[in-house]
Amino acid sequence: MAKQKSETKSAESNAPNASEGSVSSEVMLRAPAEVKYADELAYLISIDDAPRPFTWKLSPKMVRIFVLGSTPSDGLERTIAPKFFGDPRTVERAIVTLASDRGLLLIGDPGTGKSWLAELLAAAICGVSTLVVQGTAGTTEDHIKYSWNVAMVIASGQSQDSLIPSPMMTAMQGGLMGRFEELTRCSSDVQDSLISILSEKYVTIPELEEDQGIVFAKPGFNVIATANARDRGVNDLSTALKRRFNFVQIPIVTNKKTEKEIVLFRTRELLARNNFEIDVPPAMLNLLLQTFEDLRIAAANEASDDGRLESSLSTAEQIGVLEDAVLHSQFFGAGKVSGDAIGRSLIGTLVRRIPEDVSILNKFWHAIIDKRAKENEEWQEFQVAGADTLKNIK
Amino acid sequence: MLDDIQTPFEPLKKQLLAAAEAFSTDARPLHDILSGLVSDVERAVKEPLEIFPVCHHSPSSAVHMVKRLQAKQPRVIYMECCEDLRSELEGLRDCKLPIALQAFAPKALAFPSAWAPLNLVCPLTEFSAEFQAIAFCLENPTTELVFVDRSCDHVFQWMPQEDWAIEQSLPTGPSAEDQDSDAGMHGTAIGIEIGSLFPSLSRFTEELIRNARVQHFSEWWGQYVEEAIIGADRAAYRQVMFLIGSLFRRLGTRDIDRKGNELREKFMWTRMKEHLRHSQIDPTDAIYICGAAHAASHVEEFGIESDKLWDIPARTDTEWLYGLLPSSYSAIEHQFGHPHGTVSLAESRWRKSLSHENLKPYSLTAKKNPSPPKERKKAVKGKSATDTNPAKTELEQALTSHPLLTWLNKPPPLIEEDEAELLQNCMKIVDLARRNGYMTSTADTIAIYQTSILIANLRGRRHPTPYDFSDAAVTCIEKDSVPGKRDVTRLCTILIGGDQVGQVGYASMPPLAKNVYDRLGILPINLTARTIQRALLDFRKNPEYSSCSDLLWKLRYLIGDVVRPIMGQRELGHIAQQESWDCAIGKNQGAVLQLGYEGITVEHVLERRLKKAAFGAEARTLDALKAAEDCILYLSSERLTEELGDRSIQLLLQEPDVKDAREIYLRISRLIHYYRSRESGLPSWCQRFVTTGYSHYATLLPDAFANRGIAPVDLAGMLQFIFTLESLALSLGCSRNQLLIAIKQSNPESHDFPKQALLWSAECVLQLRDLKSLRTHFDDLLENELTIGALPEYLSGFLLALSFTPQVNHLTVELMSKAFAKLPDRILMPWLPRLLMMLREHADTALAGLIKEASGCFPQNASQLEAWQPPWSGKVDQADGAGSKPSPPFAHVHGNSEAQELLARYPQATNALAMSLGLDPSWSSKPKSSEPSDNEGRHIV
Repeated sequence: MAKQKSETKSAESNAPNASEGSVSSEVMLRAPAEVKYADELAYLISIDDAPRPFTWKLSPKMVRIFVLGSTPSDGLERTIAPKFFGDPRTVERAIVTLASDRGLLLIGDPGTGKSWLAELLAAAICGVSTLVVQGTAGTTEDHIKYSWNVAMVIASGQSQDSLIPSPMMTAMQGGLMGRFEELTRCSSDVQDSLISILSEKYVTIPELEEDQGIVFAKPGFNVIATANARDRGVNDLSTALKRRFNFVQIPIVTNKKTEKEIVLFRTRELLARNNFEIDVPPAMLNLLLQTFEDLRIAAANEASDDGRLESSLSTAEQIGVLEDAVLHSQFFGAGKVSGDAIGRSLIGTLVRRIPEDVSILNKFWHAIIDKRAKENEEWQEFQVAGADTLKNIK
Repeated sequence: MLDDIQTPFEPLKKQLLAAAEAFSTDARPLHDILSGLVSDVERAVKEPLEIFPVCHHSPSSAVHMVKRLQAKQPRVIYMECCEDLRSELEGLRDCKLPIALQAFAPKALAFPSAWAPLNLVCPLTEFSAEFQAIAFCLENPTTELVFVDRSCDHVFQWMPQEDWAIEQSLPTGPSAEDQDSDAGMHGTAIGIEIGSLFPSLSRFTEELIRNARVQHFSEWWGQYVEEAIIGADRAAYRQVMFLIGSLFRRLGTRDIDRKGNELREKFMWTRMKEHLRHSQIDPTDAIYICGAAHAASHVEEFGIESDKLWDIPARTDTEWLYGLLPSSYSAIEHQFGHPHGTVSLAESRWRKSLSHENLKPYSLTAKKNPSPPKERKKAVKGKSATDTNPAKTELEQALTSHPLLTWLNKPPPLIEEDEAELLQNCMKIVDLARRNGYMTSTADTIAIYQTSILIANLRGRRHPTPYDFSDAAVTCIEKDSVPGKRDVTRLCTILIGGDQVGQVGYASMPPLAKNVYDRLGILPINLTARTIQRALLDFRKNPEYSSCSDLLWKLRYLIGDVVRPIMGQRELGHIAQQESWDCAIGKNQGAVLQLGYEGITVEHVLERRLKKAAFGAEARTLDALKAAEDCILYLSSERLTEELGDRSIQLLLQEPDVKDAREIYLRISRLIHYYRSRESGLPSWCQRFVTTGYSHYATLLPDAFANRGIAPVDLAGMLQFIFTLESLALSLGCSRNQLLIAIKQSNPESHDFPKQALLWSAECVLQLRDLKSLRTHFDDLLENELTIGALPEYLSGFLLALSFTPQVNHLTVELMSKAFAKLPDRILMPWLPRLLMMLREHADTALAGLIKEASGCFPQNASQLEAWQPPWSGKVDQADGAGSKPSPPFAHVHGNSEAQELLARYPQATNALAMSLGLDPSWSSKPKSSEPSDNEGRHIV
């Protein structure tokens, strides 16, 4: 059941700002992790007496607790909720990589939580997760190193004042974590500009005088990059760059219990932006998870891509479906998440190509969902709504 | 022992109660559990019969066992292992470990039929407490070794007596990555482990793993128990093991497993008490080696002071055979579901501890006279646990009063070798990865070392464990997963120790295996090598190799790919000059040993297998015939071949269906050809088979034509048998009338065109129908729009008929040509693929005749095409009209003129043949041209 909170201000915005001036405390649609979990971070910093590498705000053990949540054996006074669900060893490997001399490259399918993990790690380690370079086909070396304020250069020439540092350079100067999203979408020569940053740990600015012409990284600086496993071949990394990164594979969640936790966690979080508290009936959640599992099996059994949906059927899409269903139920329904809302939302989310996806889903509906609806009453409303929506798509 | 007994446990209990009150809101149940654990330890420690708790394949158990046996020699050792496996231990002297003790029962009449054959293995590794005790007892005969656990028969008796129960107890098949390893060496055997210590309650295990931040139970055990107690003193070792055993028993075991354990404990204590009474040995002179969980038993029979004995249930009548089977680390891991590399890791820990403690383990020698116990003691160069490390002894003495408390409070000591080993491993893994295609360098060595330390630190460990090292190596080296390339985790397992494979020595082999090794011994190959050995057998140079070839073919038949012929074949009548074989007997020794359970010699096993194939309840004629042929090929036993042949006749008479007719024909005709080439001629069983087959198939013909369930191809097989073997059958006393009556009674359904065509073909052979009437029929059919569609169906029947009569060759070519000329596309096009498939299927019988016939009918080159007229358009009609005799196919073929000239030049033989056939031997004319006329050709024939 979704309830509108009485407060008008976001819970996120109420949190004290733990970062050092990089994020304002004004109302935000989506607060970065260091703002959102500021109290947890503050608590962990206060009790952390273990040695910390470089200028890290937390020791690796505490970073682990922050990301994976606490257990009774940790002996903490307050419970730290888990924020990333997956193999703890993956997270441990990521943390120790950041304490070493190499950069961290998180690789995985879309929707596996790479960026979320990168954000959590940056927030826990240095308190700033917003120093991000977004990799695209149009990313240039300037985005990675620095650029110039053209007006100031014309007015007073090239100087430290007219220099615009990139997020990566800012991270170097502050001894912070720089993030690079979708690294493999950049062209290879642009990617290679990271090599000197990762090995020499400085950036040369030939336009400035010698004493000002080099920016050295402070201790604590490192790079967290993400890459999409499906796009890896688009602009493959050079061997030299590969050598400077440790690769950590984020696997697809196949465990139903973990997937359930992720869907609920993320949906609650997303809906918190609308000041909702949701209570999704377990039967409805199971229905959603089971349908996705069936869809994945059907896709795996298909011999060609023509018989598969365009959607990757990731956990992120399940979250999208559930969020949509909750919002629909809240604003236009009876305020309760029903099979009807999930059915309509699911079809609306998954149909991207007309008529190919419609025909695939029609087939799936007749073969699987109809059968389930006959066996279980809870599926009937879902089945009718889905079939109805499919009929109306033209 | 004295130290143990004097250990005060009250302070520990009080401390635990305080802890329970601090951590629990309702302190009593937690306190009950904690004090129960301590009570179990106290009780086990105070037991007069020394209980030595162990864990499966645990190096710390093995180390402490060595120390214990060096300190004081017991008179008897009781061990938790199936009592009936004891007799096989002597064979271990000649083997390379790991080896599994095996019990095998080919028949299981007392158990569900799906369970047969029953197979049980108990693998032993060198670094286990049980093997150290076994080696000690075998080398020191004054110490008796008694296996006290339930027999192999009871293992199966106490399982749920359902078909599925055996499936549940077996491990699942080796995974894809295990396919190239030796994980499947135990085959489909139930596994038992001595001192198995594993929590069976999954929730308990999950909590254990989660709280300890480890991947699996083996890592937990290694990290929290093994490392901690391997260097401890004996009192600490025992108490810690008792405590863990009690913990698992109380909290980590399912009810069903607990009940099973209790039955075994009743059994073991009863056996031990019986033995002690019988041998009058003082209990303090005995040691009882068991899994730590059994030490926390609460059965009434527990303890020497209890007089209670259990009435042990009797074994079933199952006949058990015992032996040794080579095992491997990967097979042990696969059998018991341990993670990859666990056993290799245990071995590396064992070696490290031996060198650290300067201990010499017990091992078995193949000596005939084992050295006396005193000499054995002298042979031990290492320092004993009690007297050679004064500094350590002082420390131990200080802690003796609370060894358990010490363990609970203190982290394990750091061994210097660990640090050096980590550095070594970092270098080696980089080298190994490079050799396996990874782009690694010294920078990676540094990164792996650094990352290992960081991971260990993150996981709260003083020093990286092998698992931390493995994680670090994966993090730093693995960039892409390339199919076919070994992943880094696998490389780490190889680095730590890799797989070890055991081997059973010659002296310990069953008679069959010894016989195989003896007979193949003359070949210039190493039969014990783990690699594939190539043997070249030249029978002209080395006639003695022919007996080896016979044996290799027999082994090939019995155990498949263990020996593989590269060059050479074994077929009826074939005499090989040379053969080349790939022998993997050393690698697959288990398969040869398993054969030993089936018979005394390979020939014995082969005979039994052949009989089983022919006399089984589901056996068919074809199986029996195949067995008879195999008997000729591999055993050359006329007696057995006749027995199998008789069985095939018996089965043929019982078979109402004819689905194997074609195969049966091919096989029996092959046998007939073979026997005809022999001096002894056709044996009586073959003759009887032909006459029986002729009569049997002739009798079944009317039904086969009418029954739509019988496919035309099977019917063609019957006719092929009848007509091809007819002359032989008639010469052996069969009557053609039977066939004539059967054909006349045959009446296929009017729409079953292929069978109709087959019937007409048969009638042509029997001269009950002429080709002219058929030609007229088909000409009418082609003229009629309504019936033209049936032509392909008819043709498929004629194509089948080609297998037993060449008379319809010409008609078939004619009909096929007409079909291509006249069939409309809507019928022709869908039919073409079917025709091609059919021609491909019958290429051996039909195609040769058809091509020959077609080459006679169609023009030879393009220039003749213009003037060409189909033979059936005029001339051939007349020829057929003149008589119903079929035109011989070779009459139209070029190249016969030389043969005709030869016959004409030397007419005596032809004249004699003609006279014996009652024909006029006069020659009409001497062929001069290269194109003899039809009449001439016919006359000569």
